[in-house]
Amino acid sequence: MAWNKKKQAEEAPHQRYTRTTLLIQIIMSVMAVVFIAPLLIIINYSFKTKKELYLTSPLSLPSSFQLDNYKKAFDKLNLATTFTNTFLYTAVSVLILALLCGTTAWAIARCRARFFKFCYIYFIVGILIPYQALFLPIYIIGYRLNLTNTRYGIIFMYVATGISFGVFLMNSFMSTVPIELEEAARIDGCSVFRTYFTVVMPLLKPAMATLIIMQAFQIWNDYLLASLYVSKKELKTLTVAIQSLFSAQTSDYTTAMAAIVISVLPIAILFMSLQKYFIKGMTVGAVKG
Amino acid sequence: MKRNNTMEKNMEKQYLLLVLPGLIIFTIGLIIPLLLAFRYSFTSWDGMSAEKPFVGFKNYLDLLQDPDFRSAWWFTLKFTIGNTIIQNVLALLFAVALDSGIKAQKVYRTAFFVPCLISALIVGFVWLKMFSNVLPAVNELLGTSFNFLLFGDGKTVLSGLLIANNWQWVGYWMLIYLAGLQSIPGDLYEAAKVDGAGAWTRFKNVTIPMLAPAITICVVGITTGSLKVYDLLVSSTKGGPGRASTSVIYQTYATAINGRQYGYGSAMSVSLVIVLLLVALIQVKGLKSKEVQQ
Repeated sequence: MAWNKKKQAEEAPHQRYTRTTLLIQIIMSVMAVVFIAPLLIIINYSFKTKKELYLTSPLSLPSSFQLDNYKKAFDKLNLATTFTNTFLYTAVSVLILALLCGTTAWAIARCRARFFKFCYIYFIVGILIPYQALFLPIYIIGYRLNLTNTRYGIIFMYVATGISFGVFLMNSFMSTVPIELEEAARIDGCSVFRTYFTVVMPLLKPAMATLIIMQAFQIWNDYLLASLYVSKKELKTLTVAIQSLFSAQTSDYTTAMAAIVISVLPIAILFMSLQKYFIKGMTVGAVKG
Repeated sequence: MKRNNTMEKNMEKQYLLLVLPGLIIFTIGLIIPLLLAFRYSFTSWDGMSAEKPFVGFKNYLDLLQDPDFRSAWWFTLKFTIGNTIIQNVLALLFAVALDSGIKAQKVYRTAFFVPCLISALIVGFVWLKMFSNVLPAVNELLGTSFNFLLFGDGKTVLSGLLIANNWQWVGYWMLIYLAGLQSIPGDLYEAAKVDGAGAWTRFKNVTIPMLAPAITICVVGITTGSLKVYDLLVSSTKGGPGRASTSVIYQTYATAINGRQYGYGSAMSVSLVIVLLLVALIQVKGLKSKEVQQ
């Protein structure tokens, strides 16, 4: 809603461009440069040779365009494996989350039995307690149920820790599903399941896109859970591999900078292409109406 | 009538089947660990042996005496309060500035937002290099002599971490405030103007009350986000220098996973959970009561 209104505001600006606006524009430009600078410096570093790192100023540009650091990062991160792992954990977790949170939130919104009201509050507890606060028992239970060092184990945990927010998010979208359609389907003899999968789920696609991008960015960037759950080399994620690269190479960090660029790129691309949904997910509850 | 009842029961069963998988996963993955933390916190379990000797409240009494635990909480609280204030103020200022009719609003929005897409682990490393290499080079360039080695001294490490964390998150909360600002109907401002309210009065009496839901979300989000700080520290300060930047989770990790004191570590986790729940309840209650009813 807010973004539609924003568009109107852009078309017919209610404020005139005064001297104050110009001053604000200048201040914000300086701030924007300050915010972007570290990112540019990372990219700049990632193209420097080891020699340039020691001999030239961190602010100078690399003398030639070379991809050596990227090649090195590719090997040192064991990128073929870690990238696939991270991608797999993220993709499977968010798809399961989209499916589960959709069904759960819908059932909670539609069924009036008291148990479902209780369920909602039960799930919300998980938003108030971030999993990081419970990392120790989460590690212990994973260890005892043989979930550690398995692919399904870490995916299970990402789903379990993401479900609270997912249900909350999906629940806030339920008012966009017209109940008349569901009733019509039911009169036609559809079961609850069929109603959900044929009528409701297609309407929830924007909500699911929102959920998927919000969770994908969390899981892709997660370090604590991944570092606790996987120690086997062939199961490691990008952030875990990057951390070992950071601690192993404190002096020659051009490779680490290339690794950073590699790990940020996919999520940046995902964000750029799904920006609209991302912002919708962030602002749930922040805007009235 | 009877048929209707059985049909409703049948439907309820189907709804239940839809909720059940999520409920089970959530219970195993989060609620049971929560209960386990409480249980283990009353034992002196070392994480390996089969028996978990019951010690009553000993762990909690020890925690109160433990200087390392106290300093971890002290750091975490300072970090949290600093973040909550700085991030809220900056995010709101940025949002108001972007909403003031400046050109190319989208460009600024993206510039401030992008850092939050990066993993906190990477942010820690980037600022480690910023403080140790890049900013001293800026000093050289400008001929100034600011002390940028913030992570090297126990007195400045907190400000260094606050800079890193705010760099990462200000844009995120700014977007939430921006969405809130843009949802405020323009006629409210017009009405205030007609009544002779100045810019500051309009901000105080129209903008802030109308932003209340966004403020609730941002304050609660920043507080919980700061209380759980860990990833940022792993790659930047490693809890140091000394113990100057050891957070509660960092300390719990060191005690339980490295020090093999699972019982004692569980008591630390429980303390954090209790604080998180209390803070969330107090903030939601306090802030909700200030929200305007529409």
